[in-house]
Amino acid sequence: MDSEIIKLHEMLIKKEITSQELIKESLAKSHEVQEKCNAFVTILDDALAPEVTDDYLSGIPFGIKDNYATKGILSTGSSNTLKNYVPFFDATAVCNLKNHGAVAVNKTALDEFGMGGTGTTCHTGAVKNPWDQKRMAGGSSAGSATAVALGVYPYALGSDTGDSIRKPAAFCGIVGYKPTYGMISRYGLFPFASSMDTCGVLTRTVKDAAIVVDAMKGKDAKDLTSWDSKNINLYKSLDGQVKGKKLFYIKELVDMANYQNASDELIKHLKNFQEVIKKCQEIGLIVEEVSLDLTLLKAIPSVYVCLSCAEATSNMSNLTGIIFGPRGEGKTPEEIIMNHRTKGFSPLIKRRFVIGSYVLQKENQERYFLNAARLRRIIVDKIKELFKTYDGLILPVSTGVAPYLDGSKDELVKDDTAPLEEHLQIANFGGFPSITIPSGHIFSLPVGVNITGNCYDDANVLNIAYALEKSLGFKNLKQGGKHE
Amino acid sequence: MGKITKELVDDYAKKLLIGLTKEENDLVLKEFDIITEQMELIANIPGIEKIEPMTHALDRYLDDLDDDYVEEAIEINEALSNCQSYVDREVKVPKVVENNG
Repeated sequence: MDSEIIKLHEMLIKKEITSQELIKESLAKSHEVQEKCNAFVTILDDALAPEVTDDYLSGIPFGIKDNYATKGILSTGSSNTLKNYVPFFDATAVCNLKNHGAVAVNKTALDEFGMGGTGTTCHTGAVKNPWDQKRMAGGSSAGSATAVALGVYPYALGSDTGDSIRKPAAFCGIVGYKPTYGMISRYGLFPFASSMDTCGVLTRTVKDAAIVVDAMKGKDAKDLTSWDSKNINLYKSLDGQVKGKKLFYIKELVDMANYQNASDELIKHLKNFQEVIKKCQEIGLIVEEVSLDLTLLKAIPSVYVCLSCAEATSNMSNLTGIIFGPRGEGKTPEEIIMNHRTKGFSPLIKRRFVIGSYVLQKENQERYFLNAARLRRIIVDKIKELFKTYDGLILPVSTGVAPYLDGSKDELVKDDTAPLEEHLQIANFGGFPSITIPSGHIFSLPVGVNITGNCYDDANVLNIAYALEKSLGFKNLKQGGKHE
Repeated sequence: MGKITKELVDDYAKKLLIGLTKEENDLVLKEFDIITEQMELIANIPGIEKIEPMTHALDRYLDDLDDDYVEEAIEINEALSNCQSYVDREVKVPKVVENNG
């Protein structure tokens, strides 16, 4: 399970190992990881080996974030409001992987309904970071990131509305890829903010991310925002030829002069980023500095909160405990719903719903919701303009390593580091393809770098990440620092 | 722009049929301080009101029509499989309209 998908596939084809043996190993590791890091909602001990075919994914185990509907298998969204929910259908992305012969061995824990960035609001308790169990895995795809980093399997599904694949990937030292919006059908993914929700994957190599998304993607009649990507073959597009490709970074986010009283951790992280830029130049990438209006950058977290909370408030209105979910007590339907929601939702998402409700009220809509949507367009237009000149945007994933669990909060902060911490949301505003890869270590903990490109240009973005991954030397990084 | 108060927060929560503890209410107020400050800055961007709000990630709307196809509806027992209280083919709920007769 420590190997890349192609290697496992070759071993299966040559009958050096069987799918049953891989599943057995993956399940044994799942139980170990559950004990150590609390990464799963469900472990599928009765997983059966499928037929091994020429398909790269056939017979190889994987994990599914628990906000994907899985037929006949508990699918909770890590929420008490759905703690017993068993869907009668598979999400299209899951169905596509099954059709490629992939075999699911567990459902991974997440911040409730994907609405968090810490991995601490799962109804089964906080997920712990594989490198240091006193730290968070990051969220919301916390369980998937932890399991992949600990070698339970080569990949697990994630979803990304703000940075929910790409930030936990950095905190756990692995690869996290959010494709262009709509490349993978969202049918069966529990909705959070539909205009930004994106299915994706966490892996230990860029090549594996390409193979898995090739199998997950495709136009789906059940998701009208999905689009035809038959002419895109991500895996075959990986040739590592990036000489002359152009990247930019945003000066205001990485210039030390913008941070008063910068912590040692932040200084080290920004130095790490400068080393990454040197590596980019060594492989022939052209990297340039671009200046953007700091007012726009500072507004990103608030714009995201206004828009995502507004959409979530609407999306979650079906969670009443009446047609599905545990019934609340009460004499009237209103009392039943109120008890179900008050007891079932974690404090974080209750707060988010209230914010969403507030910004959607007629009297507040113009100033909050609509202005946030206007700023979304200004930011996206600015970045798209830059993508006419550049192949991608490169930036550090966050301000540093995974924070400690003790005292962690998932709330907006008024801090000059907030734009650096939250800039990955730009990719969700614009639907851009975006990938995080490991870029080194600070205090013996992993940090990551992110590359974001223009819509539908996934192959180019992945190829740049593929070349940089090779140059940086953190490919197939697993907890403990071993890597190929 | 009126100030957001504890009472307003409780009122919006009630509209969503959600109850908040005092601590949860305090946190909402704290986050609103930051959001409001940022939204004030955004409101002051010259010409912001003329920008078309962006409501979707891709400015790509329907460019082809899917074929119609017949699909079986889901079975009633499947639809009810996650419902805790039902009678025959219907979800059971308390009376919504009181019988005053």
